[in-house]
Amino acid sequence: MRLLNKITLNLLAISLFVFLIGMVAFYFMLRQQVDQNINLELKKREISLNKEFDAAHTSAKPSVNLSDTIIITRIFHPRANEQFSDTLLFNQETNQYEIYRQLGFVKKIQNNDYYIQIFKALEETDRLIIRIVILMNLLIILIILTLIIVNRHSSRQDWKVFYDTISKIKHYDVNSHEDFALQHSDIKEFEDLNRVLVSMTERIKSDYLNLKEYIENASHEIQTPLAIINSKMELLLQSGDMKEKQYKTVADAYEASNRLSRLNKTLILLAKIENRQFPESKPVNPSIMINHQLESLEDLIHSKKIKVVKRMDNEITVPMNPYLAEILLVNLIKNALRHNIVGGELNIELTKEHLRIANSGAPLQFDPKILFKRFHTSSTTPESLGLGLSIVEKICTMYGFIINYSYQNSMHVMKVDFHKT
Amino acid sequence: MKILIVEDEKPLSDSMVEYLAEEGHMCEAVYNYFDAVEKIGLYQYDCIVVDINLPDGNGLDLIRFIKKQAITLGIIIISALNSLENRIEGLEIGADNYLTKPFHLAELNAHLKSINRRISYGGNNQIIMNEIRLIPDEHKVFVHDQEIILTKKEYELLLFFISNKNKVITKAGLAEYLWGEYMDLADSYDFIYTHIKNLRRKLLKQGCEDYIKTIYGLGYKFELN
Repeated sequence: MRLLNKITLNLLAISLFVFLIGMVAFYFMLRQQVDQNINLELKKREISLNKEFDAAHTSAKPSVNLSDTIIITRIFHPRANEQFSDTLLFNQETNQYEIYRQLGFVKKIQNNDYYIQIFKALEETDRLIIRIVILMNLLIILIILTLIIVNRHSSRQDWKVFYDTISKIKHYDVNSHEDFALQHSDIKEFEDLNRVLVSMTERIKSDYLNLKEYIENASHEIQTPLAIINSKMELLLQSGDMKEKQYKTVADAYEASNRLSRLNKTLILLAKIENRQFPESKPVNPSIMINHQLESLEDLIHSKKIKVVKRMDNEITVPMNPYLAEILLVNLIKNALRHNIVGGELNIELTKEHLRIANSGAPLQFDPKILFKRFHTSSTTPESLGLGLSIVEKICTMYGFIINYSYQNSMHVMKVDFHKT
Repeated sequence: MKILIVEDEKPLSDSMVEYLAEEGHMCEAVYNYFDAVEKIGLYQYDCIVVDINLPDGNGLDLIRFIKKQAITLGIIIISALNSLENRIEGLEIGADNYLTKPFHLAELNAHLKSINRRISYGGNNQIIMNEIRLIPDEHKVFVHDQEIILTKKEYELLLFFISNKNKVITKAGLAEYLWGEYMDLADSYDFIYTHIKNLRRKLLKQGCEDYIKTIYGLGYKFELN
């Protein structure tokens, strides 16, 4: 649950609870006040009635309007004087019972005891109370809603920075060449968080760059001594006065140092692709390059009796660095030839959307996921560096292409999707 | 051919001098920019092999200097820097070739030979090696004046062998010359074996002597007596 929603819900629950209790309390308090008020009024009428009764004996005419109902009952037993209570009276006009407040009191008239009840209609005041309560309710609900909306809105503004930070961290790539810039916030906690994150990513990035630089420098520095070793051994091999056994020893050493040279060159290439040091890009026609490569590999294709099936749109161009495009295609085609079987097939399909290179062969003996991993080789040939497909993948990633391996109808299929996701 | 080698790593420079001297070239070595400028001013060379990173300057500046002086000579850059920009820049300002360290001496030699042919014969040349006659510009090969049809790779292979005749050619050197340096070289040795087998067959068919000798576990040798 989002923090903002949580806070809003808490606020809503608490305010509703408090509001309900408050409303109930408010109703009873109001009720009591009104009752008291009415009681006072009735009391006043009692006094005035008393006066009138008293006056009835002395003067002939009562001057008070007694339109409200008065029930006078003669009583023979003494009973409590002055009693307030609620009661229902039948209204003949509306034909229903209505609620009244009554005051009963005992009056002695000419030595007889009379119990007198006077009434005051409660209907009106009840309605009044209910209306007041409803109005209050509406008002409070309105206030709460406004508060919540305003609160949510302003919070969302404040939290925006936080969500922005989260999404930027999610997409953070130490290899990316964009700045890790976070939005500014006027909230201290967020500002602190952003500051910590920025300094952390800067530290990570600088460590990473240092390490990368170190590796690159090391790789470059290794080149010269390797060149010396190779050249010296080449000279040694030319001096014809070696025994066969010595030849073999030098040849092995030469082979190993050659392998090291190639490894080093390839790793430097990989690092360069990662560093995006091949910025220039122009429309490259893959079909021309593929045909060119097939031509230069035709001897091998013949010797392995491989049937080449091409379905290529010759008009297609892909914006790429020509050098990288060539490395990509060479590696894919050579890979498809190397893992082919004698008398097998090589299918090349090129459309605007994808390049699909398929070759016959037995299924993989390992998880295809590690196919693109560095230094993974299925063969035991020491000449294979196991970096070919890893270079292919790096180039694809750089251009946003998607490369996929699958095994269909006894064919290994490498599919490069040109369209970015 | 008179060659000036500008390379600050003395052992590497020595190797080049030794290998090229055996090929009959006149080699001189200098180890810094300053000496190189002086030598170029004083003497005339057919070709210069120059490293980009020199202790007191940049090899590319040396090439610019040569071009400014309007001196005509072949230029081969050797560098540990294998960035594309460097390569392009080097070739743009007038270098003939760009080799990345570590390189094979045989490859350097092959490039020098091709420069030599271009300088000496203005391109209109042919290489005659006993019964074999090669016309580099037309990619044609004749044996006993009979043309033999070679594939592109077979032709390149033969040219490489002839450029480095009587030398041990390693399989790795051949592979890199034929396929470029960023190939995963697995199976490349099989490719080479196939190419050589075909080349030898085509040559022998025309009555050519079998010059290509296999040196077990190491490579080949184009042996001319």
